Amino acid sequence: MKAFRELPFANPAGLSRGLIAALLTLFTGAACLLLQDAAPWLVRFPEAWTLPATELVGAGLDSFLSAIKPVMRAWSWLLSFPMSWANAVLVGSPWPLIIGAFTASGWYLGGFRMASLTFLGFGFVLLSGYWNESMNTLSLVSVSVPLAILAGGSLGILANEVPRIRAALLAALDAMQTIPTFAYLTPLLLLFGFGPVVGLVASAIYAAPPMARNVILGLERVDPEVKEASIMSGATRWQQLFLVEIPAASQQIMVGVNQCLMASLSMVIIAAVIGGFNDIGWEVLLTMRKAQFGQAFLAGLVIVTFAIVIDRLSGSLALERRRHSRRVTWGLFLAGAVAAALLALTGTNAAPEGVFSAAAVAVDDSLGAFTAAHGATLDGIKNSAMFYGLLPLRIGLDQAVLPFTWGFQWTPATSLWLFAITVLAAIALAVTGRQVAGAGLVIAVGVLETGIAELPWPFVIVGTMALAWLAQGLRLAILSAALLGIVLISGLWDRALLSLYLSGAAVVACVIAGGALGLLSAVSEIAWTIIRPVCDMLQTIPLFVFLIPTLMFFQIGEFSAFLAICAYAVVPMIRYTRHGLVSTPPEMLEAATSSGATAWQTMIDVRMPYAAPAILLGLNQTILYAFAMLVIAALIGTTGLGQLIYLALGQADVGLGVSAGAAMAILAFIADRLAQGFAEERRKALGL
Amino acid sequence: METGRGRGDALNSMAEQPAISVAGLWQVFGFDAASAFRRAQAEGGSIAEIAERLKERGCIPAVRDACFDVAEGELFVIMGLSGSGKSTLLRGISRLVEPTAGHVSIEGEDMLAASKARMTELRRSRIGMVFQHFGLFPHMTVIDNVAFPLKVGGMGRSERHGKVRDIIEMVGLEGREGAYPRELSGGQRQRVGIARSLAGDCSVWFLDEPFSALDPLIRRQLQDEFLDIRARLNTTIVFITHDIAEALKLADRIAIMRDGEIVQIGTPADIVLHPVDDYVREFARDVVRGRHAKVGSIMRADDGRAANGGPGLRPDMTLEDALAACMAHHEPVPVYDDGGNLLGTVDPQELSSALTVDHA
Repeated sequence: MKAFRELPFANPAGLSRGLIAALLTLFTGAACLLLQDAAPWLVRFPEAWTLPATELVGAGLDSFLSAIKPVMRAWSWLLSFPMSWANAVLVGSPWPLIIGAFTASGWYLGGFRMASLTFLGFGFVLLSGYWNESMNTLSLVSVSVPLAILAGGSLGILANEVPRIRAALLAALDAMQTIPTFAYLTPLLLLFGFGPVVGLVASAIYAAPPMARNVILGLERVDPEVKEASIMSGATRWQQLFLVEIPAASQQIMVGVNQCLMASLSMVIIAAVIGGFNDIGWEVLLTMRKAQFGQAFLAGLVIVTFAIVIDRLSGSLALERRRHSRRVTWGLFLAGAVAAALLALTGTNAAPEGVFSAAAVAVDDSLGAFTAAHGATLDGIKNSAMFYGLLPLRIGLDQAVLPFTWGFQWTPATSLWLFAITVLAAIALAVTGRQVAGAGLVIAVGVLETGIAELPWPFVIVGTMALAWLAQGLRLAILSAALLGIVLISGLWDRALLSLYLSGAAVVACVIAGGALGLLSAVSEIAWTIIRPVCDMLQTIPLFVFLIPTLMFFQIGEFSAFLAICAYAVVPMIRYTRHGLVSTPPEMLEAATSSGATAWQTMIDVRMPYAAPAILLGLNQTILYAFAMLVIAALIGTTGLGQLIYLALGQADVGLGVSAGAAMAILAFIADRLAQGFAEERRKALGL
Repeated sequence: METGRGRGDALNSMAEQPAISVAGLWQVFGFDAASAFRRAQAEGGSIAEIAERLKERGCIPAVRDACFDVAEGELFVIMGLSGSGKSTLLRGISRLVEPTAGHVSIEGEDMLAASKARMTELRRSRIGMVFQHFGLFPHMTVIDNVAFPLKVGGMGRSERHGKVRDIIEMVGLEGREGAYPRELSGGQRQRVGIARSLAGDCSVWFLDEPFSALDPLIRRQLQDEFLDIRARLNTTIVFITHDIAEALKLADRIAIMRDGEIVQIGTPADIVLHPVDDYVREFARDVVRGRHAKVGSIMRADDGRAANGGPGLRPDMTLEDALAACMAHHEPVPVYDDGGNLLGTVDPQELSSALTVDHA
């Protein structure tokens, strides 16, 4: 009795926390299934119970937005000046001068390699025939990045100087990065009206958080003795900050600038969706809509080229300490200027017509021929993935299994058989001491039979709470339940489950594929030398571009969206898995070897458990990436919250856009905290 | 052993106003430490009882009621194991952390009452500090690092560079002015740290384990150079170390800390010959006493047995040196093998010089 009082959650049977959580979830699920005829509200949340949240949010935001609209319009007017200047410089300057200037800065920052990369990159852009569009994009970036650096930098310094607001600010930065990018385009649209300023402001908002984060991190990591030394030298706070701490943190801050640039570029291209500016993102969208995939692909390649050149240039600004000869730098710049002057004399100042456009047409044609020739194969791939993978996950085996596809009809009797076999297997597992695995198996089969999009809402909430309780404790469990409750009564639940299904499917696929590739890269150095540049490139490419190749082969639809999400979200899984596996301390491996473990045993029993926290963090990143891509993928056909956000943008419906965005952010937030909680728990268990 | 300034000078000036005076200094960490300390103190009791009460409230009493004076020109060493609160004590005195309670005055000025601006001014002109891991600014060259206190004080570039050349030369870094910290060895980095702390012409010099991060040979070399610099400058020094040999080698007086409390303050000979408790005795155990104790400390009144002449002992000779001098008076002694056969002789003077440390 006494022991019972001391441990409120323990019980006489001595069940572990994991088992309690699993059983609780299992019972809720079973109860919902059994009672679904008697109480249908247990499965499907009645519409009558929901609040008109989107309308309420819309009304509230509308009045707020119209109140601050005049100020923002003034801002918009102010911003239009630097934008037109940047545009005049970049579009107005003759192209040899621009190429010369960028190649020169490439030389200064990274020597011959960087200079040739820049030269070839810009040369490709010129020859692609998208020079003016690219310069328009670049001028947007060149205005939005300083804005983001200024805003992010000041926020970072503010958080450093006022510790009290630090936690709140970090939470706000988290939120800014989990809220899908499309979601805040809608209110911005209302504030600034159609036009490039929206893209500018959106990309500045999107790019500021990584800058702020890196400034905070950099300032925090300055050696405490360096800080003390500047105090003891008699520096005022201002002097400490600007003469010592910020310069000492410059490397981390430059990493922030690099991330800021990439985020801004990515967002500028996404913002093309609202149009109004003849930039390269718009070109991709336009050609995609016209189903000119060759041209879309070419424009996409231009974006990728840009992204890679900008990334490597700013990356070497951050990581390379060495600077290269100024003389060569000036020489390259002058060469560009002379070439520009010569061109002006001969009177051919405009950028040349794209020499690749013919190639693009050819690619388009051959692609058409290819899809026509192999249409059956491609459809086969797509259909089998849909019928045997995605569809059962979405609507459950009980509805997805049809004679037409699977060759037999699913009946309630089949369900009974399936459950009976599962329960037997679970009992077998429980008897051999793996009770949690047994309960988990039953839950997994139950989910598969029902389908994620059709899961009863009490089951989802209780299941999430159970996981949250395991990951971090009661507080997170209550918080997740409350947040999910908001989604539930706002009437966005069905859409949320659809989003959950697609991102869940993509995450599972990424875990399997990414885990395997990560394992392979950890074991084989050759594999890593091949996989690594691919990962680098996939992480550099703006989200938008992922849509092009999937669309080329599989047309609009859920499967294309699924593939695009996977392509983007698989990278962190590969990286973290490999990193976790190769960072096992060497003495641990030596100890395993000298104990007589085979390579495989070492992998299973030593390296994998040690890598678990890193792999969980990779999973966390993969989940967040999947959610980020989900909204972009709405452009090519998904049915969840992403689609709602995209629709809201078209209709300028602020309420719908913001509520759907918030629901998405809630899902991402919960998934993020769960994965981080488990990673933290593992790290503690390993004493790291 | 002896440095430019005699130990006696430092002790004599104790009668005057001390250069640094610390009284009742407490440094408590934790949530709302100040009021927790006030309440714990109001309940009265010994230092240990107050500390215990603070711990019960979840606070960490890192420094407990530290009291000591440092005379002008004295080299005062604070010694203790890691976690004993010695670095925290120094940070309280220099106000890198704000002490919870107590009194600190430097050259008669109440440090804890000084405004922020006044502290900045004092640090520019009067207080220098050297850090264990050097605390060099990674983005500045050697000369810019050294001249930093002058720069923040508003001195122009050419003037401050001119002014620090002598100091850079004094620490033996001439020719490396343009190097960055990452291009220097550990010993060179700490020379930069020392030079920077001296750039403001400080009269009070704090050194926080300055040589602990260096390997033994470099450490000894820097200790000797430190004593040379000290002999040239008339600074009051508080020196933190965890190394008893270093403390005995450098100190005029040593304060030994344990669990945030100062358990003994005394000259090196006091610490070695008269440890107040087992903790201090444990430190002094590995020390060769003869190297630190003086003839005066074991001398008795003459009872008429002493021979005239003798080896010429003086009361301030170390016991080791005295032993060597006495040995020189003995005749060579025979050495036998196991069978009792005479093998040769040993000169006692050579025996003692083989045991003594090379002073050169």
